[in-house]
Amino acid sequence: MLKAYLIKRALMTIPTMLILLTIIFLIMRVLPGDPVAAIVGTKAPPEVIQSVTRRLGLDQPYHIQYINYLSDLLRGDLGRSMIWGRRPVIDEIMDHFPATLELSISAFMVSILIGIITGTEAARKFRSKFDQVLRFYGILTYSLFIPWFGIMLQLIFSVYLKLLPVGGRIDPFMEPEKITGLYLLDSILTLNIPSFFNALSHLVLPSITLGVYISGVFTRTVRSNMLEVLRKDYITAARARGIPENVVVYRHALKNAFIPILTMMGLQFALLLAGAVLTETTFSWPGMGTFLLERIMYRDYTTVQGTVVFIALLIVSISLLVDIMYAYLDPRIRFR
Amino acid sequence: MPEMKKIYLVILLIVIAVAAIGLGYYWYYQVYIKPKEVIVLGTIDKITVLDPAKAYDFFTWEVLNNIGEGLLKYKPGTTELVPGLAESYEVREGGRVYIFKLRKGLKFTDGTPLDAEVVKWSIERQMHLKLDPSWLVTAFVEKVEVIDKYTVAFHLKRPIAYFPALVATVPYFPVSPKAYPWDEAKDSTVGIGPYKVVKWVRDVELRLEVNPDYYGPKPKTKYFIIKFYKDATALKMALEAGEIDIAWRELLPTDIVALKKEGKFNVVEAPSPYIRYIVLRCNQPPFDDVRLRRAIAAAIDRNRICEKVFKGLVTPLYSMVPMGMWSHIDAFKDEYGERNLELARELLREAGFSEDNKFKVELWYTPTHYGTTEADVAALIKESLEETGMIKVELKSAEWATYAAEYIAKGVMPIFLLGWYPDYIDPDNYLTPFLHSEHCGHLGVFYSNSDVDELLEEAMIKPTREERQALYEEVQRILARDAPLIPIFQGRLFLVCKRNIKGVVLDPIMLLRYYLIYKD
Repeated sequence: MLKAYLIKRALMTIPTMLILLTIIFLIMRVLPGDPVAAIVGTKAPPEVIQSVTRRLGLDQPYHIQYINYLSDLLRGDLGRSMIWGRRPVIDEIMDHFPATLELSISAFMVSILIGIITGTEAARKFRSKFDQVLRFYGILTYSLFIPWFGIMLQLIFSVYLKLLPVGGRIDPFMEPEKITGLYLLDSILTLNIPSFFNALSHLVLPSITLGVYISGVFTRTVRSNMLEVLRKDYITAARARGIPENVVVYRHALKNAFIPILTMMGLQFALLLAGAVLTETTFSWPGMGTFLLERIMYRDYTTVQGTVVFIALLIVSISLLVDIMYAYLDPRIRFR
Repeated sequence: MPEMKKIYLVILLIVIAVAAIGLGYYWYYQVYIKPKEVIVLGTIDKITVLDPAKAYDFFTWEVLNNIGEGLLKYKPGTTELVPGLAESYEVREGGRVYIFKLRKGLKFTDGTPLDAEVVKWSIERQMHLKLDPSWLVTAFVEKVEVIDKYTVAFHLKRPIAYFPALVATVPYFPVSPKAYPWDEAKDSTVGIGPYKVVKWVRDVELRLEVNPDYYGPKPKTKYFIIKFYKDATALKMALEAGEIDIAWRELLPTDIVALKKEGKFNVVEAPSPYIRYIVLRCNQPPFDDVRLRRAIAAAIDRNRICEKVFKGLVTPLYSMVPMGMWSHIDAFKDEYGERNLELARELLREAGFSEDNKFKVELWYTPTHYGTTEADVAALIKESLEETGMIKVELKSAEWATYAAEYIAKGVMPIFLLGWYPDYIDPDNYLTPFLHSEHCGHLGVFYSNSDVDELLEEAMIKPTREERQALYEEVQRILARDAPLIPIFQGRLFLVCKRNIKGVVLDPIMLLRYYLIYKD
């Protein structure tokens, strides 16, 4: 039964991906701007323009370009960048993805930590002033303007207190030997302690900025689910047995309130991976968000398409993974 | 103690311990790992392509000037040309042939030796690729001839008085044939200049190290690092936080004013031949009517833009040739005064417009390429034009890639803002590309005046400065009368650095020489 459910769920991702690929293909061609002009500039004679157009395959009708694009994808080929040395798109992605992954994981941890503690405590102290403050916090973070919040943190911790760096991933000469591209992990694997702390110091402010921004969603979700669970009979029974309140709340209730939160976590993490553009921009973080934005401006069709496909595949995979975990945690799911 | 409190306490202790160790290490490395031999420069500019055949932007040229070199180069702080990779040159056949003697024993960072064949190959590659900057070669050079291993001759299409200045520009830089392909542009870090690239992560960091094979004096700092920031706010904070030693291109005008006042940093400033101007598409209605172009030229309030947007850090400009450059005259001031709203109204009336029948026009700008002040510049131009009471301006914007590569060349925009950094230091570079009918379409001007063409061609070949000056002055007067372009202001260069940074030379070339900079 579980196998059938998973196959069905995996098949459902195919039309989603196809629609996305088609939309991005069309959008890139409808937008004003021309990759050939970006490559050859404004002064190139017509024969140079024609030659570059031909080389990039842009002289073909749209439907042929579309078929070529899909067939390349099916072969696992994301193509080559149209500009700047025509590097393989996958190499370009791999230059930026570890930065985004590292920031996402760390921001995610910050948000989960804040979300679970604040959500649980708010539910525990339902309708108290504390609860009201945390509910307000949930709304506040939702409306938080990331560049403003980031700049405030930079001003306080970097400019005035000079404790943490303003931006970037690591200081010059401090990069660990590349294994995974995740500086924290690589510095641990190579036992490079100075690099670890240097990378960590760069990670603190962007992680807090992004983590706080998405923590409100968790605060609200955890709170509402905990409220529901805390009213269940088995919780009352546990309390009646004299089990300490903290154990009741954090061991029994939280565990059971966790299933809907897990779905939320999966989606939020996928969104983080898609590129927290504003955070990356504020902290000069060389991740996928800023990379994608820049390539859109240059109408680098293949890189933009390839990057979107990569991100979409990630989101679909994470969502599938969450569904599997969901089905595993709640056996009723797989029969739906 | 309740269980939760214990957990909180443990978490708190872990956080404090991690933070303490981390900050300790961070402090240690801030203090000890950045010795005098490292200088970090921050910028919000970008490198486009590290290829002299493709790069045609200020910052990439600056980097290429530090990792490469031309046959001739400018003496820092002056506009005097001195030998570079060539040890000498001579002019023959009445200025049609330039023969360069190369220095012997030079090699690129990939080991390729520099000889006459390499110079010929590099120039012919430019001519073959025909990319953005190639016109600086193709418009002047007919062919390149190898005379012997270290002697190369440039045969010109016609005598060019300022050819040595052209040879100092990036498109004339020799490149290693092993590092660059013949038939396409490529990013390559191979060079022959005072510095070599040891690390480059696009838009993140460029790390330069002294090139031990460079023939000239060694750079004063072993490592010169460029860090790329996303905006001027981040750049300023990086400077204040001590992460960078130099903030270059560029901080916001308000920040420069504030930093000058605070006095914590050195603010180095110098006149710059960087200019900003308005282009009017004069081959199509409505600006094929010279009265409308003249009305716009008369209505612009340059002082307001300089004071309000740039806090007086830039200067109103009344010619395309910048102030301080020989042959400059205040042609627009002579023609219209600083501003002449009455004349503007009169011209608009003559063209058939009135307070009830306003002249409606779209004014285009690009929001980030010229800094975040650009929207304010456009808004003030709109304001000053609308003060005639007879013009209605609609502001429109497009990102640089579309604006430059598509809209300008295709003549999509009736009136738009642009800026110009010189390719070579000569009035010709401020007039011919904009006003000669063969060239100006590339810059969206589409102006055609046979008298101007003749004057410019004549000035190009006249051997003495005096003869050329009279011709350029005449061109500037015609420019003000016909107003296909309207100069707005001339910039100044600002570099903000820590007090221990020395050796910064800001000169008309505008390209920072990293190899002269050091820490005291």
